[in-house]
Amino acid sequence: MRGMGRWIACLAVAAATGCGQGHVIFNVDALSFLRPSGDDNIPYDLPGGFTADSSVAQFFALPGGLGKSTINTVSITAAAAIVNATGGGNMVFDVFFSKKQAGLFTGTPYVSAASGPVSGVDSVPLLPPTTVSPGDTVFNSDSVWVGIRAHLTSNPPLLPHMTGRLRLTELSVHIVINDKIF
Amino acid sequence: MRTSVVGTGVAVLTLGWAAQVAGQGLVFDARRVGMGGLALGRSSSLVRYNVAYRAVPANSDRRGEPKVTIPIPLGLIQFLHDHPNITKDPAFNPDSTGFNPILVVNTLLNLPIYYEVKQAPTPTNDVIFGIGRDSLRANLGAAAQIVPEDQFGIGGSSRPLDPGIGIRGVRLSVMGWLHDEVGFQLGDNLLGFLRDSQPASANTAYTVNGDGILEGGLAPSIAYAGRIAGDSTMGFYVGAAAHYYLGIAYARTSGVGGFRTGNPILGAPVRPTITAVTDYSKAGNALGHGVGGDVGVAWVSGPIELGVGVNDIGATLTWSDTRRDTLLYDTTSNALRTTPGPNHFTTKTKLPVSYIANVAYSVGLTTLGADVLNAGRGTTIHVGGEQRVGLFSLRGGVARDQRKRIEFGWGGGLRFAAIGFDVGFWTHTNSISNERGITMATSLSIY
Repeated sequence: MRGMGRWIACLAVAAATGCGQGHVIFNVDALSFLRPSGDDNIPYDLPGGFTADSSVAQFFALPGGLGKSTINTVSITAAAAIVNATGGGNMVFDVFFSKKQAGLFTGTPYVSAASGPVSGVDSVPLLPPTTVSPGDTVFNSDSVWVGIRAHLTSNPPLLPHMTGRLRLTELSVHIVINDKIF
Repeated sequence: MRTSVVGTGVAVLTLGWAAQVAGQGLVFDARRVGMGGLALGRSSSLVRYNVAYRAVPANSDRRGEPKVTIPIPLGLIQFLHDHPNITKDPAFNPDSTGFNPILVVNTLLNLPIYYEVKQAPTPTNDVIFGIGRDSLRANLGAAAQIVPEDQFGIGGSSRPLDPGIGIRGVRLSVMGWLHDEVGFQLGDNLLGFLRDSQPASANTAYTVNGDGILEGGLAPSIAYAGRIAGDSTMGFYVGAAAHYYLGIAYARTSGVGGFRTGNPILGAPVRPTITAVTDYSKAGNALGHGVGGDVGVAWVSGPIELGVGVNDIGATLTWSDTRRDTLLYDTTSNALRTTPGPNHFTTKTKLPVSYIANVAYSVGLTTLGADVLNAGRGTTIHVGGEQRVGLFSLRGGVARDQRKRIEFGWGGGLRFAAIGFDVGFWTHTNSISNERGITMATSLSIY
């Protein structure tokens, strides 16, 4: 992912030179970058009656010019599924973006969806609505951290544990910047 | 990295579109602009490219040719009004969020000498990049049409100075000469990616091929130009010049530069791929040597004037003290490395043959003309005319530039005794656009 910035900076020369007053739009399939490292799956194993978070974070290098651009809008589309094996409880699926790793999971998530009650062997889709953030400053940067969090609340008793995994099925970022990419 | 990539990209695009500038030439005379770039009378280009014209007497009354032309650079006023402090103007500062590469390139391609009546519109569509770990695709929309498909570049030969003495048609001089050419060609992969919106592939090079040459020196010359038949109203003139070229320095390079995608495309580091071979002979090394010549003829018969001139015929220089270096991007150390190659070997360079053919016809207060000029890289054609009506002059013309695009010129003038004021308009495709802009030139003429 770190090489992407250089690649896109090169390509965007043509874009910036050619686009006039138009916009430069990046449609980033962020999930494709998470999948090889297994970060698209967040396993969980929580004794009954507890609350815990399970999360992954990954660094993304953005096109170099973005750090000096004016972001028009950012749209985040995500989808996930809970593949529960044992136990029961609730899960809230959150996606965060931040310029720094510290504090990535604080604040309001960009997209969020609650599973509702889950019990035993079950598969529950999580389809949070697409969020649109005008003028988002998080993407006014040469890099961004992406965080995926599963916030679990398991049902008592202690046993059986609530086990399974959160499987991310879509995470795409649509960034519209104004013409002055460089 | 960002700056260098941007700089290279802008430079490449500038050079690419600069070919069009060369196509129409940088003209400071509103009269010429009004005739689509056509040069009538004893302009420097005729004398430069047709040695016989040294002997053809000027006929300024009939051709309406001024002795001196002084450009009025209204474009500078326009530019300074729009950008009163260019050093602090964010549009020209790459570190600013307001940096506008289109404006920078277009300013370089259209030096703000004359007033730009109609800016050539640049594509205003959105540009979309689809990015995944193993996928990359760009959709430039209408902007893709400005990605050059063919080889593009600038260059040619010039003679910046030619001091000498002449006696009875024979002229001895020491001519300064310069030959420069830069050419680029987008590789098929890069062209398909940018222009045809083809998806990128893994482990694939996206490159630009480039070549260039720069050489210069002096040439002791002997030339003759004279009338061999007829008189001042109807005569046949010939001219010839022999040059002994002494090359002071030269460099010639050929290379390929770009990036190679990883596998997966964006899941692995992108590696620059740069290779270039450069032959050069620095100033202070042994001089290059070569012999060449110019020939020209001109025929004047009353209202008709014809001329043909050819330059630098057979001008091949031999450089006996050449060195070759190879430039390579080392992917291991991520650094450019220069490897010295053979030294003190002999190479040859060849100056491009340039030529001009012109015709002019004057009857009464009307002058019509045409010329075909090739200064070493592409042919330009100009056809135009001037009609003088009392104090006024009306002009029009058509040109075909090096891109083979048709451009139009029109204008007029007002003359009081020895002073004239001229205005000329012409279309151009010098900007980053496939549509024409219109420039208005103004100048004063002293007759």
